[in-house]
Amino acid sequence: MISFRKLEKAFGDKPVLRGVDLEVRRGEVLFIIGTSGVGKSVTIKHLVGLLRPDAGEIWLDGRRVDQLDERALQEVRKRCAMVFQHATLFDSMTLLENVALPLRKHGRLPERAAEKEAMLFLDKVHLREFAHAYPAELGDGTRKRAAIARALTLAPECVLFDEPTTGLDPVSARRIDKLIRELSDTLGVTSVVVSHDLTSIFGIADRIALLYQGVAHAVGTPAEIRASTDPIVQQFIQGRSDGPMETPGF
Amino acid sequence: MIALSVDVITKTFYGTLRWLWGRRTPGAVLSQLYQIGNRSLLFVCVTLGFLGMVLVFQTCLQVNRITGDLSQVGAEFIKILVHEFGPTLTAMMLATRVGAGIAAEIGSMVVTEQIDALRMNGVEPVDYLIVPRFLASLVMTGALTVIGVGAAIGMGALTAYFSFHLNPVVFLDVSHVRVGDLATGVMKCAAYGAAVPVVAGICGLAARGGSEGVGTATTRAVISASFVVILLDFFLSGLALFTFQRGGL
Repeated sequence: MISFRKLEKAFGDKPVLRGVDLEVRRGEVLFIIGTSGVGKSVTIKHLVGLLRPDAGEIWLDGRRVDQLDERALQEVRKRCAMVFQHATLFDSMTLLENVALPLRKHGRLPERAAEKEAMLFLDKVHLREFAHAYPAELGDGTRKRAAIARALTLAPECVLFDEPTTGLDPVSARRIDKLIRELSDTLGVTSVVVSHDLTSIFGIADRIALLYQGVAHAVGTPAEIRASTDPIVQQFIQGRSDGPMETPGF
Repeated sequence: MIALSVDVITKTFYGTLRWLWGRRTPGAVLSQLYQIGNRSLLFVCVTLGFLGMVLVFQTCLQVNRITGDLSQVGAEFIKILVHEFGPTLTAMMLATRVGAGIAAEIGSMVVTEQIDALRMNGVEPVDYLIVPRFLASLVMTGALTVIGVGAAIGMGALTAYFSFHLNPVVFLDVSHVRVGDLATGVMKCAAYGAAVPVVAGICGLAARGGSEGVGTATTRAVISASFVVILLDFFLSGLALFTFQRGGL
């Protein structure tokens, strides 16, 4: 469904991606893992045009998307929603208004119709009672669930999750995991999840891609990753500080 | 930065046209009218009031030493306020208060990925964040200038009366203000009102990193917006000199 081919990206003189090759299959939950600053979020942002690659190609269902202009990218953004690391709900809007926003802008629905439909999505993530609350009044877990509801409003084929469980308590984190898994199992949504959370990774992933030194160092099912003899893979999944893995800043 | 500036200016232009031709979000503009206008009112009045006091006091002091005839001080003070100091000082105040606010708000939205979230939700960030501020600033720079000039004249008249016993009726002489002075003042208000939110918005959108990046963007916005006001003042004053004020207008 999604193909990153020899993707390269540098910020100033600092190269982050040095030729990422990665395939994402329809309906799967693919986790992109790796140390901080390795370019996990950078990789997924390229798919929806929030970043432009320096080199390489990105394909979505046989269509090259890395060269599309902002107008053409709107279509890609309808098909591929994104849940950001910090939920990114707009403080001046209630949860209902936040969730209705893509329906009004992408879906061109009138405000009342958009809010009616948005309420159904808030129901799906069990947030109906908070519909008229402002994001600042709510906890991190609630805000993330609302961000997921907002991402689902346009029935996307693919959802990109940027560290969805970071900063959440274990119970909230597992609820988010369950939601991601259900999206794939019941609606066939393809999920690309950037995460450090090993419980999530081995709990719900169909496949895992480990980014290291700007490339996809290892890709496989959770069982294959666990069984890997690669010392980099083993060091990361065991969370050991000593080993061959180079971590910038340490 | 140049590409970003061109992009923001172009999108602000087209966004404004779209707003004027019907696709309006009046709530956003009304909110900005309040933020930029009402919330700057006291700041502008106090600043221009004090500057009016100081300028009139110093002028009267010098004129008193040289000729002793203060009858023309008020008329010339009002003239220069209308075409020069009123719009420029008001815009400088707005560059600091409003420019800093716009850059900080947009900058923090950049570093917390809210700008990316807007784009993902089909909202053009310039339309949503800069166009309402641009429209509100155009209106409110003019309104605040009028009120600020009033405050400066009022405080100047009081200073002249209490410090130099100059009759307010003599001081409040608007006979020297020509159509050209008014036209210059209006032109400057429009130019400053357009420039400050756009410059601040560009600085905000260029923010990178975390809170340090927002701080840098805010500082850059205040400096850039103030500098642009001074540059515009120079060029518009020159333009006015060869157009509106030529031939005794």
